[in-house]
Amino acid sequence: MSGETFPGGEHDRDWLAAEYALGLLEGESLAEAQRRLSDDPDFRREVGGWTGRLAPLLDEVEAAAPPQDLWRRIEPRLAGAGGSGTAPAAAANDNLAPLQRKLALWRGYGAAATALAASLAFFMVVRPGAAPVPSAPTPVSPIPAAGPAPLVAMMESKDSPVRLVATYEPATRSLVVMPAAGLTRAAGHSHQLWLIPDGGAPRPLGIVTPGAPLRLALSGGLAPDSTLAVSVEPTGGSPTGLPTGPVIAAGKLVRT
Amino acid sequence: MPPAEQALAPLSTGFRCLPGWCMGLNMDLPAGALGESGERLRLSEALASVAAGDKSAMKELYARTSPKLFGICLRVLGSEAEAEEALQETYVAAWRKAAAFDSGRASPITWLAIIARNKAIDRLRLRRPTAPDGLDSAAAIPDDSPSAADTLEQADEARRLSLCLDSLDAVQSRAIRGAFLGGASYPDLAASEGVPLGTMKSWIRRGLSRLKKCLES
Repeated sequence: MSGETFPGGEHDRDWLAAEYALGLLEGESLAEAQRRLSDDPDFRREVGGWTGRLAPLLDEVEAAAPPQDLWRRIEPRLAGAGGSGTAPAAAANDNLAPLQRKLALWRGYGAAATALAASLAFFMVVRPGAAPVPSAPTPVSPIPAAGPAPLVAMMESKDSPVRLVATYEPATRSLVVMPAAGLTRAAGHSHQLWLIPDGGAPRPLGIVTPGAPLRLALSGGLAPDSTLAVSVEPTGGSPTGLPTGPVIAAGKLVRT
Repeated sequence: MPPAEQALAPLSTGFRCLPGWCMGLNMDLPAGALGESGERLRLSEALASVAAGDKSAMKELYARTSPKLFGICLRVLGSEAEAEEALQETYVAAWRKAAAFDSGRASPITWLAIIARNKAIDRLRLRRPTAPDGLDSAAAIPDDSPSAADTLEQADEARRLSLCLDSLDAVQSRAIRGAFLGGASYPDLAASEGVPLGTMKSWIRRGLSRLKKCLES
């Protein structure tokens, strides 16, 4: 083993996160890791990375049935909604507040999308053709000053954290789909966007990627009440032209 | 009507989808109908209900996952009595932290398994006189671990990790497994291999470097 290169770093501190995640530390170095865990986000991420890398090892462990009455010992320790909150060792379920925050945040996306649609509409009205001169005349612009209102779809599902916001500008037939939350890159999979006309069959529109807007120019128009949906598909999209994987978010296009 | 469209089943959301396609929206499927990815979906759902304070969902989560998690606690602690304690702490922590679970980052069973493993290691460290507080289970949950899109992919990950561990020197992979699954510390490992502490440290660090490279290749 000697003579091998050592690409991970020579210093103890370079290894603290990995060693903490592995559970190797004791005493002073364990205390130091715990200090950094509470006030160093990069360190926390690194610990998370190593834990995630090694977590598949837990798959190897054989299951074993716990004693029959164990649930009865756990239940009194769970306080909160409908529970016996008076038990001395009861743990408050401190999830409700964050959940409400998430909900508020999600409502915020709605407001943001409406604002986005409004600003897009504004931009289109005042944009002086292709010339970047603010005082350029506008009468020849092909975009009507008061075109049809943009459509917006909030795409979500109660069973996934994925949220996307879609805005469709009828005047230019342009659709912009922005992942807002929960969409992550996954090896071997693509997230495919579908248009489902009211009462019609799904039509593939494109692949959405985390953190980047998908911009599409549609040849046909989009009707209100059409649904947009995102499903998990093999890399590159469904091989059949119809959705084959689970839908992780869907929403109807509505007028703003 | 084209045959593909005849196969579409109407959904309450106002659009149609192929049978088995709308798993994310159409929830009342019979148990087992969805196989492993269905189990993952069920657990995610149960965790979402737990996050909203639903104790019956917590009971379901316990029924579906406790044998796996008890196995992990037993593996780390080696004592039934201590494993029972660690298992209780695991579910109390899961109840508290359910809202922090993000199904885009980890599968529900992996999330729970990591809590169980960390709670068990906490208890192991408590046995030792030098131990200050032990691992903080909630903080050690992977923040940016690679997402597993389904259990199939999880099985792939397990296979890949296993292959990469097997590519290391035997003593390195034994030590890494012994630490992560058996709760062994540096001094434990050095003693069991009969080498100085410094030697064990550099063996493990080299092993981890190579492991990381292998997993990223």
